[in-house]
Amino acid sequence: MNELTELYQEIILDHNKRPRNYRAIDDATHSADGHNPLCGDELSVSLRLNGDQIEDISFQGEGCAISKASASLMTTLIKGKSLQAAKEESTVIKQMLTSSDESDVSMEELGDIIALSGVRRFPARIKCATLAWHTFEAALNGDEDTTTE
Amino acid sequence: MIRTVTMGKSTFKDIPDKFEAGTPDISGVIGLSVAIDYFESLDIEAIQAHESDLLKYGTEALEQVSGLKIMGNAPDKSNVLSFVLTDVHPHDIGTFLDSEGIAVRAGHHCAQPLMKRLGVSATARASLCFYNTREEIDKLTTNLLKIQKFFNG
Repeated sequence: MNELTELYQEIILDHNKRPRNYRAIDDATHSADGHNPLCGDELSVSLRLNGDQIEDISFQGEGCAISKASASLMTTLIKGKSLQAAKEESTVIKQMLTSSDESDVSMEELGDIIALSGVRRFPARIKCATLAWHTFEAALNGDEDTTTE
Repeated sequence: MIRTVTMGKSTFKDIPDKFEAGTPDISGVIGLSVAIDYFESLDIEAIQAHESDLLKYGTEALEQVSGLKIMGNAPDKSNVLSFVLTDVHPHDIGTFLDSEGIAVRAGHHCAQPLMKRLGVSATARASLCFYNTREEIDKLTTNLLKIQKFFNG
C-alpha cells in the first residue's frame, strides 16, 4: 500500500479529478497530439506563444490518473514561463521521471510536480507520466504527432 | 543448413535439412510434452463446471459494485470479466489490484475498434481459470470497492 500511496499522492488524485487547463485554445500557435500506443492514452497539448513567452497552455484527452495529472500539473507549471525556461523545465522533469537514481535531480526546486516522482517505482507507468511532456516538446518542435514509443 | 560456402556462392543441404539451421527448441518440445500430460491428467468437465461457477459467481459479485459496468454478456462467453469503473481508468485499476496480488489485464486489449464500438477507451479484464477460487473473487470485489473510494472519495 505504501508504494501505491506514494504513486497516487493527494496532488495526483486532485489533478486527476479536477484537471487544470483542460480545454481548447482557439488561437493556439502550437499544438500536438501525443499517443501511448501500448496503453491507448491519447492527449493533445495546445499553447499560445507570444514572443518568447508561453502565454497560455492547455490539454485535452483520454488517459489514466497519472497521465492526466501529469498533463494538468505541466500546464500549471509552464503557463507564463519563457520558452527557454519551459524547455529546461521539461528536460529536468523528464529526467526526474525516468532516472532510477533519486539523487539525480534537485527535488526542492520542482514544486508540486514532485508528486509524480513515485512513478519511478512503477516502470510500467513511467510513460503515462512522460506523455504530456513529450507532447509539449513535439508542439514546440512543430511535430503534429508524437508517441512514447 | 549449409553445404558449401564460398565468397561468390553458397549451396544448401537438401530439404528438410536446408530449413533446420541452428539448435532445435528441445527444451520447448519437452516442456510442451509435460504440459500435454498435465492437461490430460485433469478432468476437463470438472474444470468447465468450476469455471462456469466462477463466472456466474463473479458476474453476480461485480454487479453489486456501484459504478461498475461489465462489458460483454453473451450467453456462452468465455470465463472472463471485462469491466469499467466510473471515473477510474483501467490502468489505475490494474496498478492498484497488482499491489494487492491480483493480476488483471488493463487497456484496449489490442482491440481498439471494439473499444470504440463500446464507447470506452479501455477496460480491465479478469480471466478466471481452474485454479481460481470464489474467495479470490471476493477479494477482487472488496478491492474494487476500495478503488472506488480511493479515487472517487
